[in-house]
Amino acid sequence: MSVNLSCDFSDRHLDSSVSTSQRQLAITISVDGSISVSNTPLNLCLVLDHSGSMGGQPLDTVKKAARDLIDQMSYKDYISIVGFDHRAKVVVENQTLINPESVKEKILYLKAGGGTNIDEGIKLALKELSKSMKSTISQALILTDGENEHGNNDLCLQFAQLAAAEYGITLHTLGFGDYWNQDILEKIADAGGGTMAYIESPDQASAEFQKILRRVQSVGLINAHLILKLAPNVRLAELKPIAQVTPETIELEPEKNLNTYIVRLGDLMLGNDRTIMLNLYINHNPDQIVAASTANTIHAVTAQIRYDDPQSKLEGLLSPEVTADLTLIKDFQPQINPQVQSSILALAKYRQTQLAETKLKQGDRTGAVTMLQSAAKTALQMGDQQAATVLQANATTLQSGTDLSEAERKQTRMVSKTILQIPTNQISTNQIPTE
Amino acid sequence: MIICPNCSHENPDGASYCDSCYTPLPVVTISTCPNCDSPVQSDASFCGNCGFNLKSASEHEKSMTEETDNTSSPEEVPLPAESPISTPEASPPDLSDDDLALVQELIEPHPLTQLQQIGAFLIHVQTNINLELPNNLQVIHIGKPNNMIPPDIDVSGFPDSDIVSRVHADIRFEGNAYYFEDSGSSNGTYINNSVLAAGNRHKLRSGDRISLGKGDRVSFVFQMSS
Ligand SMILES: [Zn+2]
Ligand SMILES: [Zn+2]
Repeated sequence: MSVNLSCDFSDRHLDSSVSTSQRQLAITISVDGSISVSNTPLNLCLVLDHSGSMGGQPLDTVKKAARDLIDQMSYKDYISIVGFDHRAKVVVENQTLINPESVKEKILYLKAGGGTNIDEGIKLALKELSKSMKSTISQALILTDGENEHGNNDLCLQFAQLAAAEYGITLHTLGFGDYWNQDILEKIADAGGGTMAYIESPDQASAEFQKILRRVQSVGLINAHLILKLAPNVRLAELKPIAQVTPETIELEPEKNLNTYIVRLGDLMLGNDRTIMLNLYINHNPDQIVAASTANTIHAVTAQIRYDDPQSKLEGLLSPEVTADLTLIKDFQPQINPQVQSSILALAKYRQTQLAETKLKQGDRTGAVTMLQSAAKTALQMGDQQAATVLQANATTLQSGTDLSEAERKQTRMVSKTILQIPTNQISTNQIPTE
Repeated sequence: MIICPNCSHENPDGASYCDSCYTPLPVVTISTCPNCDSPVQSDASFCGNCGFNLKSASEHEKSMTEETDNTSSPEEVPLPAESPISTPEASPPDLSDDDLALVQELIEPHPLTQLQQIGAFLIHVQTNINLELPNNLQVIHIGKPNNMIPPDIDVSGFPDSDIVSRVHADIRFEGNAYYFEDSGSSNGTYINNSVLAAGNRHKLRSGDRISLGKGDRVSFVFQMSS
C-alpha cells in the first residue's frame, strides 16, 4: 500500500502588483492498494449506554445492532464490549471472535437502569483495547443517548486525545435519540480521529453501526501525520488555518516546530480520500517580476505523510515529498480552481453554522438567523440541497420566534459537517426564498 | 485590514476570503478622493479628509451612465427587473457639455445649501466636517459598516474611528427633540465630558459635545439650525 498526495491552490497565480495575497491550498491524501489486500485484524470495542432512558425498544435495537455487527466481523478480529450507566463494567473481555455466539449471548445480558457516565466507559474501553494493540486496527464505537451527567466531559476529551495521540486508537461516537450532547460527541470524535453518527430513530441503529464498520474495515494505514514545511515568505492565517474538509469537516490543530507544522490525521482509508485545506498568506515584493524566469515561482509549501502500515508491521514510513508552487504574474486575472472552491464552500458552510450556533447561545437570535441564511446559501452554492433545506428551515423557525428542537440542533450539526447526499456538482446561483 | 461583511471578523490585508466564515470579501483598493485627492478606501462612504460623500458620487455617476445608455438605444426593450442583467462591454458614453455640467453640480459639495434644508447636524470636531442628520428617520444609527445594523451615519472614514463600535449609538427624534443613546458600544459615549450610562438617554441641545469612545478622539458638536 502506498500514499498519494496532491496539492492544489485556490488560484496558482499571484498578482505581482500587490504585496500580500491569501491563498487556500487543498491537499488530498489517497491510499493506493485494494481492500482485499487489507487483512489486518480489527480490534473493536463497543461502548454501550444502558442507562435507564435506554429501557425498552431503544436498548433492544442497540443489542440487535451490536449482534448484527458481530456477524459482519471476521473470526480473526478482536472484540470487547463495555456497558455503562453511571458506572462502567466490562461485558465481554478482549478476545478473538473464535466463538461469536457466546459474545452475542453476553450482549443480551445488558439491562437498562442508572444514569450516564461516558468517561468511565471510555476509560475501560481503552484498557480492553490495549490488550490486543499489536498489529491490529484498534477502534472504539461509543453509543450514548444522553448527557454525561455522572461523568466529566473534559475527562472524555482527554481520554480521546490520549487514545489517538499515544496509542493510535480511533474513537467513533454515535448519538442515539435526541438528548445527547452534540458538542461533546463531536469533540470526542474529532479528537479521537473518528466519525460522529446520529441515530435519529432506533431502527437506524444497525445501519449506522454497519456504516462505521465498513469505514473501519477500509482502514489501510494508521497513525498518519501530515508534515508541512512553509517557505519563509508564507505564513498560516492566524485563525484556525488548517481544517479537514473531506470526508467530513474537522478543525485541525497543528503542532509547530520552527517552520514545520505537523497535523495528526490518524487512519487513512482505502477508497476514501481525505482533503485538508490550509489558509495561507504569501508576501512578495510588488512588481518584482523577472521576464521569462523561474524566479517568479514560489515553492510555497512542501507536504509529506508519515504513517504506520499495520499489515507489513512497519512504522514511521514516509511518503514522497510534494511541493506546491505559486507563480507571480503581471496583468493578474483570477482563475479559481473549482475543486478548491468546493472545499472552501464546505468549510464556509461549517463555519457559518458554527457562528450561528454561537450567536444563538449569546441570545442574538437575529444574528443567528442571518448567519443560518448565509450557511444555507453556501450549501446551495456547493450543490448540497439537503443541508440548504435544513439550514433554511431552521432560520425560518428561529425567525418566527420558535426555538429549535433538540432533533433540529442535531440535524444542523450533521449537515454542517458532512454532505449527506452526493452533491449535484453544479454551482447553482439560485437564491433561497426568504420569508 | 478588511472587515468581513458577514461576521465582522477583522482580516489581514490581502485576504480574499474571510479567515473566520469564508465569505468572499469585498476587494478593497485605495483610490483618491475626487474632491481633495486624499487617498480613500474603495469601500469608504465619505472622504476622511474633506467629508466628500463618495457613495452618492459613484451612485450619481452610475445612474448618469445608465440614463445615457438608455437614450443611446431607445428602441431596446428594457429587461424585466428579475432577470440577471448582463451589462455589455460598452465604452464610456460621450457626455455632452450639459451633462458634464450636471455631473459637476452633483459631485460638488454644497455645505451651505444642505444646512438650510435640515433641522440638525453634527460637526466633527477633529476635521470640522458637517454631517446632516437624515430628517426622514426616527432613529439614526451611528457606527461603522456591519451586517446587523447598517449605520445611517458612518464614521469609519474619520481618524481614530477604530475606537468606535460598529453599532455605537442612536439619535432618536421624538416630539420635536433629539435624544442621544449609547447602543452598547465597547468604549462608551461621553456627552459634555461625562459618561452616558448605557440605557440612559440625553436630550440634545445646540452646542452639546458628543465623544464616541474615550479620550475625546472622535467628537461632534450638535447644532440645531432653527
Ligand atoms: Zn466572516
Ligand atoms: Zn476628500
